[in-house]
Amino acid sequence: MASRILVADDARFMRQLIREIIEPEGFEVVGEAADGRAVVEEFSRLQPDVVTMDIVMPKRSGIDAVKEILALDPTAKIVMVSALGQEALVMEALQAGAADYVVKPFKPDAVVATLRKVIEKEQ
Amino acid sequence: MDPVKYRNLFLEEATEHLAEMSRALLELEKDPRAREAIDLVFRMVHSLKGMGASLGYDAVSELSHRLEDRLGAWRARGGIDGPDGLPLLFRGLESLERMVAAVRASGGPPPPDPELLAALDAAPEPVAGGAPEPRDPEGLAAKKALARAR
Repeated sequence: MASRILVADDARFMRQLIREIIEPEGFEVVGEAADGRAVVEEFSRLQPDVVTMDIVMPKRSGIDAVKEILALDPTAKIVMVSALGQEALVMEALQAGAADYVVKPFKPDAVVATLRKVIEKEQ
Repeated sequence: MDPVKYRNLFLEEATEHLAEMSRALLELEKDPRAREAIDLVFRMVHSLKGMGASLGYDAVSELSHRLEDRLGAWRARGGIDGPDGLPLLFRGLESLERMVAAVRASGGPPPPDPELLAALDAAPEPVAGGAPEPRDPEGLAAKKALARAR
């Protein structure tokens, strides 16, 4: 069965790009969220296997959303989507319990490998 | 990645972002400490940086990155300060608008204005009564910590 992924990013461009990178590799994008509040709601509703989480989003930051999701479900798997210059924020997200991270601009192989690694770790 | 499809997505989303940024800068003209407006401009340039880098529009990502860094510093200080702060942001906005227009017209942005980049790079004046923050423009400390965490 395909792993179910929730994609959170305030940019439609990035959500579409992640979807197009991972769907041909056998992942199912079950939902998208454009802000840090919506991703928590969508996580509760969809119960995905993995969330890809942008750090800079409106309403609530990706880091705050990580903390809220892990408070709801301590086994949740979250991969941070970061950009150059955000190393300190990624570190903060990992310390908050995020499983791993990928860096924009994406290397498609790295995105897929990171998701697989996080899912395999879960099993 | 279908370059035409993503170029069009970029043009659509970047145009929206620049319009939002313009509205937020007008708000900051009235109140340079308007936190929501600073946050919004920060998010818009962050998003432009990511899209620009994904499409190889290095000029867009470079200028956006410098704006993001400068906005991050202002955000930490509680507002846009100094007489040059807002004019610098308006220059950044105009430059990004020209870049997006050039992508629309000819498929690629012109290089960023080196003088604008240098002005954005200039360290903000120290907060009155406080020591200036140590400069770590490459985020080397965080990069080392991240490498250890992985």
